[in-house]
Amino acid sequence: MIMLDRRLIEEIDWVLIALILLQSLVGVIFIYSSSHFLPGAHHVRQLVWIGISLLALFVVLAVDYKFFVALSGYLYGLIVALLAVTLVFARFVAGTKSWISLGLMQMQPSEMAKIVLILVCARLFAEYKRDYLTTTYTLGALLVAGVPFLLIVAQPDLGTAMTFVAIIGGSFILAGLRKKTLILLVLASLVLGVGGWNVVLKDYQKKRVTTLINPAGDPRGSGYQVIQSKIAIGSGGLTGKGFKKGTQSQLRFLPARHTDFVFSVIGEETGFLGVFIVIALYFALLARMFLSVSKARDRAGVYIIFTATLLIAFQFLVNILMIIGLLPVVGITLPFLSYGGSSLLASYIACGLVLNVKMRRFANV
Amino acid sequence: MPEDRIYEDLTVVRRRANAVFWIFAVLTFLALSYYWKVQILEHRKYLAMAEANRTRSRVLDAPRGLIRDRDKNILADNTAAFKVSLVRESVKDEAASYSAISALLGIDEPTLRGRVALHKDLQPFEPIVIADGLTADGVAPIESRRLELPELLVESEPQRIYRGGTLAAHILGYLQEQTAEEIRAHPERPTRPGELVGKSGIEQVYDGVLKGQDGQSIEVVDSLGRIQDEHARQYPVQGDDVILTIDSKLQAEAEKSLEGREGVIVALDPKTGEVLALASSPTYDPNRFITRFTPTEWTDLISDPASPLENRAIRGLYAPGSIFKLVMSAAGLTFGYVTPATTVYCTGSTQIYGAIRHCWYAPGHGAMNLSDAIKNSCNIYFYSLGRRMGIDQIHLAASRLGLGRKTGIDLVGEKEGLVPSSDWKEAALKEPWFPGETISVAIGQGQLQVTPLQIAVMTARIAARGIPVRPRLVSNFPPAGSDAPAPPPDTLFKTSTFEQIIAGMWRSVNDGGTGAGARVDGFDVCGKTGSTQTMSRESAERLARAGRVIKTHSWFSGFAPRDDPRIVVTVLVEFGGGGGATAAPVAERIFALWKERMAPR
Repeated sequence: MIMLDRRLIEEIDWVLIALILLQSLVGVIFIYSSSHFLPGAHHVRQLVWIGISLLALFVVLAVDYKFFVALSGYLYGLIVALLAVTLVFARFVAGTKSWISLGLMQMQPSEMAKIVLILVCARLFAEYKRDYLTTTYTLGALLVAGVPFLLIVAQPDLGTAMTFVAIIGGSFILAGLRKKTLILLVLASLVLGVGGWNVVLKDYQKKRVTTLINPAGDPRGSGYQVIQSKIAIGSGGLTGKGFKKGTQSQLRFLPARHTDFVFSVIGEETGFLGVFIVIALYFALLARMFLSVSKARDRAGVYIIFTATLLIAFQFLVNILMIIGLLPVVGITLPFLSYGGSSLLASYIACGLVLNVKMRRFANV
Repeated sequence: MPEDRIYEDLTVVRRRANAVFWIFAVLTFLALSYYWKVQILEHRKYLAMAEANRTRSRVLDAPRGLIRDRDKNILADNTAAFKVSLVRESVKDEAASYSAISALLGIDEPTLRGRVALHKDLQPFEPIVIADGLTADGVAPIESRRLELPELLVESEPQRIYRGGTLAAHILGYLQEQTAEEIRAHPERPTRPGELVGKSGIEQVYDGVLKGQDGQSIEVVDSLGRIQDEHARQYPVQGDDVILTIDSKLQAEAEKSLEGREGVIVALDPKTGEVLALASSPTYDPNRFITRFTPTEWTDLISDPASPLENRAIRGLYAPGSIFKLVMSAAGLTFGYVTPATTVYCTGSTQIYGAIRHCWYAPGHGAMNLSDAIKNSCNIYFYSLGRRMGIDQIHLAASRLGLGRKTGIDLVGEKEGLVPSSDWKEAALKEPWFPGETISVAIGQGQLQVTPLQIAVMTARIAARGIPVRPRLVSNFPPAGSDAPAPPPDTLFKTSTFEQIIAGMWRSVNDGGTGAGARVDGFDVCGKTGSTQTMSRESAERLARAGRVIKTHSWFSGFAPRDDPRIVVTVLVEFGGGGGATAAPVAERIFALWKERMAPR
């Protein structure tokens, strides 16, 4: 099972791995540009995390994805328990909500929960052979995804919780959505949305949404981030202000420069040309992952490739639209480019699953 | 394909996955288009915003010019102080911010909010000064909390300091903050909100000269407002110094003489009109309210019934009393009603128009010529003169001697006073002039109103044997501040007229007259006293019968030396009693000091 024979290694999509690494290194460059004046050597740490994540990717490749799918039930139980522990534990450690300490490193279990959900969905829908989704099955799937989702909302980490919607929604699309089911889902999300707005959302989160509609209404609060980010991107022009020369990032007008808003730094310092290159790289990467769907040998493989790719595509789109003011600021990182170990690891593992499915397309059942 | 038989049929799910991919592709393309719009089409707009973000223009206050006395001693100086401003744009949480600032600066919250509300018209990025006049130690705790309170801006600024405290306060004036309303009212003045501008005295009149030119610094700042770099700097230019004609020693002596009293001392050079001293009492210390705020001292001063802020020398209106006999003498000689030899017999009282009028000296002065009448300040002589002359000739002579008209000193707010005439009464009161009223005017009472400065300038005119002067406080700039025209050259009076009046004034001081108290050995002081009733004779007598002591205002005005006049001194002490007893000895001290000061020159 952990055998990696030569035939399998030959089937590894090295181009995809190269694209991932290239994108990650672009990220390191701009993490350096936007944080070199801060203590902590973020770019070095990010390089270390890239190494760890790459290692994790190969570990994932070594194991047949079917084994992960078979294990997904246990993994699900484990991650739900971990999320619950994090939530309780957070009550004792003021300030930390979504982090648990693993000795020297800190981990966000919610990032790992995404991967688990991908596997759980693959398992749920692997044997589902009807043309369209039934209501009972939909509700069942929603229940399974709902437990970790609510635990993460409660942290509160709205950004990560939203990626769950992408994964479960992607699965539903693949399984086939009937009009009736779709209407039901929209209604349910409306009810949940209105209820969530009034009961669950904190004031600062509500403000982020209202800010999207009128960013100038609160120029020093939530609107500040969006305005500063848009100024950074717009002032970059065609060719940008040059590496380490962005005034918005270097003078710290830009918030979360090396994490959520790293793409604003790229926009400011390299201009539209840089933006075009990075988006094109992303498109090449995601297109290659999406099109791998045709290489999957079974239904579980299709679901894994599709939801894992959708997860990264969703985060990419939401992030680049959020930093330019087209979506509310929800705290979603840009995969591969943003600083942060857990998010990087989760993205690499997701890609690892895609590669895993793709390289085992000829394997005997 | 061969696999299709081995593997399950996945065409449907693959088709759906492909559809989602195309949706993703379209969305990516749309996102890229929007980046194109922002980065290429709207580039200029965002570039300008980025520039505005990182650069801040800061006004560098120009130190005001100094105000010096005639010996170049500094009267109004500058010292380094700090001010703290609030930038509303940087306030994140208003309630928390205001309470923290209020605790840090020791300003109560309503005051702070009121302060900010006062400048609500300013742009949110413009700093509003909320504390000033602070020392380096005073701002240390604010600087140390820079990161917590990025909305606070600490800057140093030159602050006015009046080295002599109350010395010459009414001449120097004071500074106050320019409010938004005042700026709107005077759009031609290049002032900015929060700037301290002269609100009275020389500070006001010569504000344009003293204020200098503010500089500007274009700074690169980070998101916390910390200065990273400086783009350009235009240095402030200090205002020009203003040199006064005031002699500090004389001024100090004058103020000391008035301590505890309400009154005025004016000393000037009769040849040039240079004011050597100008004291108005009570006074105030302008240092106490050089701040943008309204300290209790200020409200106390405004509501003080003794009005210490008023410069009585130019704004106090008094009856001239017997000083006016100098005008009567000039008129009598000029219009030919008397000659120096004409005598009038004083029995202590006389009956005019059916009413009995008294001389101040009940036993009577006996036979008086003009010189005797001035020396003894004999009322009977001037009653007789006034009755024959009539009000309109008195009005003409008084006007030509500068009464009823602004002197044109370089201060704002000077009053004109009043010299009545039949035309004036017709116009103002719609009544004809009664001859009986002329009798009161003849001894300086009635509707007559003069300022002490007018009396000083008139005395200078007599001392200079008729040559008119315009009083001035500033020697190194052309006169400003007054809308009064320059005194016209006058041909009404002959030089001999003044000589004859001066003869009487000399005897008043040096020959046992009413002005004897002002005598200085070897200085040939010439002068005239005055004691003015502050109410009608009837009410005064009624109160006197009730045992109340009613004191008159006490005047003295004179010059010295007789043949080469160097100084005019006018003294007015409110409720001081007799002019000879109170005002003349005060004048004596000023004359004596000036004689001493002149000696080594």
